[in-house]
Amino acid sequence: MKTGEIHDFSLYEYHNLLQQNILVSYKGPIDERIMSVIGENIEVVTSSGDAKAKSKIFKVFMELAQNVWLYSAETCNVGNGRVMGMGTLVIGEFGNYYTFVTGNVVKNSDIEPVIEKCEKINSLDRDSLREYRREQRRLANEGKKNSGNIGLIQVALTAESPLDIELTPVNDEESFFSIAVKIEKDEQGN
Amino acid sequence: MNDIHIKGLHEAYFVPTVNFEVETGICELAGESYLEETIKFYTPLFAWIKEYTETIKKPLTFNFKLSYFNTSSSKCLVDLLNMLKTYQKNGGEVTVNWYYDDSDEDIDEELEEVEDFTIETGLTINKIPNSSLKN
Repeated sequence: MKTGEIHDFSLYEYHNLLQQNILVSYKGPIDERIMSVIGENIEVVTSSGDAKAKSKIFKVFMELAQNVWLYSAETCNVGNGRVMGMGTLVIGEFGNYYTFVTGNVVKNSDIEPVIEKCEKINSLDRDSLREYRREQRRLANEGKKNSGNIGLIQVALTAESPLDIELTPVNDEESFFSIAVKIEKDEQGN
Repeated sequence: MNDIHIKGLHEAYFVPTVNFEVETGICELAGESYLEETIKFYTPLFAWIKEYTETIKKPLTFNFKLSYFNTSSSKCLVDLLNMLKTYQKNGGEVTVNWYYDDSDEDIDEELEEVEDFTIETGLTINKIPNSSLKN
């Protein structure tokens, strides 16, 4: 066997690609155990950031990673009835801000309401977003269906960033859906 | 009627510390709230408040000392506050205090959400910085 035969792609190129501005990248199954490991390490990998930015990245991570876990169309059955959602998660650092990106496969038939929700969130100013969160929380507490997930509204409020969404078709039935947000570092840099 | 005492845990999930005392009418919810089954965790707390407000009917002080809660937990917090508001409307004496860490830099968003809890429930919530407790 010649050296390099098992490498069906260049790990070096992959490593170099990730090397640039990427603090954390994870692709694979996500559940509360994986989330806990990554969550506990956010503090460490964002060491150059201020406390406020770190806290924001953690809160955004908790909501978006959970969405991948619960709503990814690509799942892996790990036994005992446990199902983990598959997805990708990346934390980047670019000078005065961080980016947090998650992505997962979705069924085309399910994604339209999510995109509409993101577009609505992006069209609202902060006070209207707060009102939207209050309204959705009230509807959820009254037991109205499909009003439960206020995670995306929370992400926009916490990150103080629009939800940059991308939908890339995979085949006739599925697409890859990703959400990116930007988290500014404190200008004083403390 | 019994007290509720739950020791907080920070593992894969975060269980908040709960201390509800019948004798004093003082309830504390502290730490972090991110649970596997949020509603299942909060249901006994709702039941306690219901029983206290229907049978004991003495003043109730609720002290929130949460450093983190996820969106699922926030729905339960609003449910809880709504129960306290109902008690107040029916003549019960209710004090709600929200303690926050003013050495933490990310407090603006927390205080904004506390204001939203007031708008959502109509209940006055006293915002108390932790630094005021020292000395």
